Amino acid sequence: MVNKEAFIKAIQENEGLIYKVASFYTDSKEDRDDLVQEIIYNLWKSFESFHQNSSLSTWMYRVAMNVSIFHLKKKKKKVNQIPIGEDVLNFPETARDEVEERLQTLQKHIKDLNLFDKGVLMLYLENKSHEEIAQIVGISKTNVGTKLSRIKEKLKQQISKQQ
Amino acid sequence: MELDDLKNDWEAVSNQTSKQNKLTHKIIDQMTQQKYDSKINKIKYPEWVGAIVCVLNVFYIAFNFSKLDTLPFQIIGVSTSILLLVMAAIGLMSFNRLSLQGDLNRPYAETIRQFAIQKLRFQKFQRVNAFLGYLLLVGVVMLLPKLFYKKDVTDSKYFLIFAMSLGYIFLVFFSKWIYKFYKRSINQAEELLKEAES
Repeated sequence: MVNKEAFIKAIQENEGLIYKVASFYTDSKEDRDDLVQEIIYNLWKSFESFHQNSSLSTWMYRVAMNVSIFHLKKKKKKVNQIPIGEDVLNFPETARDEVEERLQTLQKHIKDLNLFDKGVLMLYLENKSHEEIAQIVGISKTNVGTKLSRIKEKLKQQISKQQ
Repeated sequence: MELDDLKNDWEAVSNQTSKQNKLTHKIIDQMTQQKYDSKINKIKYPEWVGAIVCVLNVFYIAFNFSKLDTLPFQIIGVSTSILLLVMAAIGLMSFNRLSLQGDLNRPYAETIRQFAIQKLRFQKFQRVNAFLGYLLLVGVVMLLPKLFYKKDVTDSKYFLIFAMSLGYIFLVFFSKWIYKFYKRSINQAEELLKEAES
């Protein structure tokens, strides 16, 4: 029997992580809220299989990022989610404007990266070490370094094209 | 803008996010309910509607089969029915494959690999379906006058010329669009697969 209280506590302690992953993979508030719901639902479904072989946050990153890949395919088809209290999922108005603006800038720069690069870049921006990135993504530590320098190069080219 | 600037933007977003306390006990509990799962499953309905329309058309052809009074028309009737059933099956099969399956806890690269393989398979299925769609169009053009007016398609040369010219124009534009669209999608999926496997 899965302990729901433990799950809810884990989510509350790591909700920032879930919101950040959802923000990175979506470009509108509506999609982001949908993805947050989907991530939490899938975390709950696989909570029983989490046996602490890795840290809680590593497990959460993996599930959240794995769910995000497939959410991108679904989002074009409209799905009515269960209504969650508006006040609960919204940032306060002023803070939201600032966050949205920064997110839009970020999205503009990363929109042409492929899913793989996006995942690695997000973990890098999250200040994860090469070792942690390797563990979450499932590649070697040296490969992380190679991928990151390639991503930096791609981004530079993209940003200079946009300017 | 450099990567460090991106990092600053991301940190600002992260700080703002962590200041909020949004997910209450009740909200998380709601999100884990079965009723949410059933809502998600609703996105499969359009695929089912497409398949049902195909099957209904097969029933229509079967019900009016006596109107197809010559062997060539009977062959076209049977072939069109088979095409409709194959297209319905391909539509359902390819959609069901494009979903997150298996262990959610596996590494990101493995899921990317699964996603790219599914996408490649999906695109190939869709390409076959587009080709079958054109064959279906030819079948339908041949059957329509017979089923609705009990007339042979060759009885009205205007209908034949009109339908075939329109069909040809449609074929040229449609195949060009299909080639362009699927080539780009397949290239992207192949690049992703290469990335995940390197």
